[in-house]
Amino acid sequence: MKLHVATAGLLLAAAAVSPAAHAQRVLFRADPATDSMQVSYGPNRKFYQHLFVGYTPVVGNPAGSGAALRPFKSAELFIGVRSKFRLTQTISTGFDVQYVRLVYALEQNSRKQLPSPQLHEQESLVLSQVQVQPFVRLGFGRRGNVIGHYLDLSGWGGWAMATSHRTEDRPGTGGSTRMVVVEHGLSYLRRWPFGVGARLGAGRYAATARYRLSDTFIVGANPAYVELPRWLVGLELGLF
Amino acid sequence: MRFSLILGLLLTLAVLRTHAQHMPPPTVRYWVSFRDKGGQTLQPTAYFHPAAQARRQRQHLPAADSTDFPVRPDYVARVQAAADTVTLVSRWFNGVACRATLAQGARLRQLPGVRSVEEWPVNELLPASRPVALARPLTAADRSLARRQTAALGGTDFRQARLNGHGMRIAIFDVGFNGTDRHAAFAHLRRRQAIVATYDFLRRTPDVYQGGNHGTEVLSCIAGQLPDSTFIGLAPGAEFLLARTEQMYRERYAEEEAWLAAAEWADRNGADIINSSLGYTDRRYFPEQMNGRTSLVARAAELAVRKGMLVVNAAGNDGDDPKWRTVGTPADGDSVLAVGGLDPDTYLHIEFSSYGPAPGKRLKPNVAAFGVAITAVPGGYSRTEGTSFASPLVAGFAACAWQQQRNLSVMELFGRLQQAGRLYPYFDYAHGYGLLQARHFTAPAILTAPTFDFVRQDSAVRVVIRPEAAFVPARTLPLFADSVQATTPAEAAPMAAVGQEQARPAAPSQPDELVSPTPPDYLYWQLLDAAGRLLRYEVLEVAQRVVLRLPLHRLQAGTTLRVHYKGYTATYPGQ
Repeated sequence: MKLHVATAGLLLAAAAVSPAAHAQRVLFRADPATDSMQVSYGPNRKFYQHLFVGYTPVVGNPAGSGAALRPFKSAELFIGVRSKFRLTQTISTGFDVQYVRLVYALEQNSRKQLPSPQLHEQESLVLSQVQVQPFVRLGFGRRGNVIGHYLDLSGWGGWAMATSHRTEDRPGTGGSTRMVVVEHGLSYLRRWPFGVGARLGAGRYAATARYRLSDTFIVGANPAYVELPRWLVGLELGLF
Repeated sequence: MRFSLILGLLLTLAVLRTHAQHMPPPTVRYWVSFRDKGGQTLQPTAYFHPAAQARRQRQHLPAADSTDFPVRPDYVARVQAAADTVTLVSRWFNGVACRATLAQGARLRQLPGVRSVEEWPVNELLPASRPVALARPLTAADRSLARRQTAALGGTDFRQARLNGHGMRIAIFDVGFNGTDRHAAFAHLRRRQAIVATYDFLRRTPDVYQGGNHGTEVLSCIAGQLPDSTFIGLAPGAEFLLARTEQMYRERYAEEEAWLAAAEWADRNGADIINSSLGYTDRRYFPEQMNGRTSLVARAAELAVRKGMLVVNAAGNDGDDPKWRTVGTPADGDSVLAVGGLDPDTYLHIEFSSYGPAPGKRLKPNVAAFGVAITAVPGGYSRTEGTSFASPLVAGFAACAWQQQRNLSVMELFGRLQQAGRLYPYFDYAHGYGLLQARHFTAPAILTAPTFDFVRQDSAVRVVIRPEAAFVPARTLPLFADSVQATTPAEAAPMAAVGQEQARPAAPSQPDELVSPTPPDYLYWQLLDAAGRLLRYEVLEVAQRVVLRLPLHRLQAGTTLRVHYKGYTATYPGQ
């Protein structure tokens, strides 16, 4: 056994010192066949895909009293994936798949009716949605492989996979600092919203406006529930 | 709160609307090309500077051709009347650039003599340098680099041959030359009034000493001088034309137009060499459009070469950008000498230097110089990175070469510069023909003896270095590269006796170079397909004589192996 170990050791040592076993150190290597290939993917190529995030506050007033909203707190936050197909140098099309969290932060005043006249420290309706938004893009000016300046016209629709009514009161019951109550599965909210939108962008930044065509509440909801503002105007940031 | 928000929005809308009513309709940039130059003549002796006339004469070019004739004034007047503003009149391309509304643009197309009207978007031409450098005290390593950036090109050979660019005119197109009119590095230029003309093509004024430091740094890599009188460029004896054609960070004017206007200006004022450390990349173009024919600047550069000027351009700093990677424009022009960057410590491609090939598998970059350099910046000197600085180092080299062989035509010089590459006739898409060597111009050509052999075996071919080329000169390593010696010399002073003061030897002179100005002898090898295009290339450190073993199956279907070592290049044919 000892002999075998010694022999193996000698062989290894011989291999280590043998000139033929020394690898030549490669200081620089390039493979033009692969690293100079024509690229077909990019911001202004036939196909491009990227992530985006955005924030669009609810703009405007409800259709009547009883559902006043807190500005800027009532807003959509969204994150999604955009797939874009270039048709010509100026026209592209594509679609977004996005997760949208829409919050209606309810103003607490004596006229409040939504969803009840009861007042709280803070109160909101939250809709977690998955949406698909096909769009047509008009690009401006000749450009290279960059997004450039553009106008998107889109339609959108989705499914509100979760709805909740959240209230917060201070102090809470039983000596606690605050009490948060969340009610899930709001039956009075419409689950299939849809609408149209537009985006004006330059590179990774875009100003976006969306208009909801569908109603907020189902037909059989409390008649005191007035339609909530349909406009959302905000900013979007492309992650690429 | 809500009321005030809505009121604010309404007020903003009202203001915007009122403002919009008073604003003229938006204008677009157009390039208007004319059909002819009928009836136009030119008196070359009156129009061109004597230096420009001499350049044409030397290169057996006509004193003037139709591209030098003025644009027909009646055509220009009609465009001026129909458009909002005319921003450039180009003799070379027989056209004008102008601003016009869409309606005016449509009318321009109907004007007599108009061949075409193209939209001419404004785009940014970026200097090919890394982030802005600030002045700081020079370290020993900096001083070493300052010497090596010219020594590596053979600056000593040019100095000994008394070649310093004297009698040459070099035009530099850049973003601005802050401090050039005051900096001590250029005192010798000011003393002999070597800056013969300046023009800011963006603001239309002769003052170019504002706008940015980049031009100052570039100029210093041709003719700058350190406080110890070391020149950090190779052509301090040349004359200079400084043109501001680009704007740093923001875009207000069309910079391609400015480049073209500056080229025409440089031609008229007798420039021999144009150095342009600038390049367009993906803001406007796709890599496949880097064909030397698409961009206006590439076409302008090609025309400048036809008029006898050598155009030297930085290859670009997109080598580490996977979205671009190749050279920008105008470095993509076939007749434009594109200069890549080398790491001054390894003498190999520096990672940010753009790679070739250009579309069509054309060789780019053509040659290489250091991509890191010591440059003059307002208030002092700095170490700066970018192929922007490799380009002027080569422009200075070209000035010395042309000074020596004044009768070479521009394309002959172009060819000779490529041949002066350390690797020539070997080339690759990272180093081009390699670092330029002044020896090629100053010393008689010596046929390099073969330094290696191809040895074919059963299943592989070996590259074996010949014994006479396998000699590696020995040298004593210092303990620390920047201070004391590692070994005690035999003649070292004996230790003083206890209690006596040790005699202090005379202070050794500071080593001039921390890194040798001579590149190490690497082995370069590549595989080429039947059409001569590179499939793969490598650089090896040579540690043994059997330096490469390549399986024969890699050499099938017309593939050949080409190897370069110590100035000798040989090709092993495939099967």
